[in-house]
Amino acid sequence: MKELSCDDVLMAQMAVADGEEPGFSKEQLIAHIAACANCYHELKQSQALDQVLAGHTISETRVDLWPAIETRIAKDSRQSIGWKPFALIGLLLVIYKLLEMLPAEDPGMAFKLVPLVIVALLFVLIRENPFRINTELVMER
Amino acid sequence: MDDTEAIKKCQIGDREAFRHLVERYQKRAVGHAMAVLLNRDDAEDAVQEAFIDAYRAIGRFDTSRTFYEWFYVLLRNRCYKLTAKRRPTENLDDVQLLAPQSATHDETRLALEKALHSLSHEEREIVSLKYFSGLSYEELAAYLQIPRGTVMSRLFYARQRLQGKLRGMLIREQEV
Repeated sequence: MKELSCDDVLMAQMAVADGEEPGFSKEQLIAHIAACANCYHELKQSQALDQVLAGHTISETRVDLWPAIETRIAKDSRQSIGWKPFALIGLLLVIYKLLEMLPAEDPGMAFKLVPLVIVALLFVLIRENPFRINTELVMER
Repeated sequence: MDDTEAIKKCQIGDREAFRHLVERYQKRAVGHAMAVLLNRDDAEDAVQEAFIDAYRAIGRFDTSRTFYEWFYVLLRNRCYKLTAKRRPTENLDDVQLLAPQSATHDETRLALEKALHSLSHEEREIVSLKYFSGLSYEELAAYLQIPRGTVMSRLFYARQRLQGKLRGMLIREQEV
């Protein structure tokens, strides 16, 4: 059987007080403490410390970090989209304009809505609400 | 919405779901960051950065862990980065780490806070997580990413230092 040091015993007793598995048998611990005045004294101090620590909780004060986090996330996602989708949208708009310039046939109302759909898709892509009021903007004097 | 559902939604880019996680955990996270940094502004900065790290890494979230356990690793990294270039510590009387209790216990709380301030970041962190947030050794091992044996020894030596700082009070406590 391994010879227990005072630190082993006190650490194991701390685990017992914390409701954890101490790693040594109860008999071993009791035998050591009965024969060691230093451990007995330290154990009493440790129990007193447990009483001081008991019942305290971390102070949780009011905090609202979401607006700052949201701004950063939005900025990040705009940066991470890259140029390709925007180039594609530009190309679609150019094609639309060319089709519109074709003479004769009237393509109808649905065709006129295509640019609107493309712009709506753009806002979906960049995850921005165009109707959101930005309270961070300050009017210039 | 529970965390699992919120995380799944975050993984497909739902910002509102992420807002839900931020609002659920920000207070606890600031408290834990305060325990390491002892500075309210630094703690809020660390939590904010850690949430942004979490949003970027949410696709790699390990479903075998709870959100906060996973998030705490990110928060801890941010806190320890800040300790290297930290602002001067606030007046210790202004840094309230523990929640106030009844007036009769206030003297104990203040003495305990003072003793906690004298510990190292790591010692204060483990004592706070164990005794003020009630984590088990297994949870501490997961939060701090260290083996259970290291949890025990770190906690033991932190307690020894705390005992040293509070010796007078502990003797009075024993006599009661």
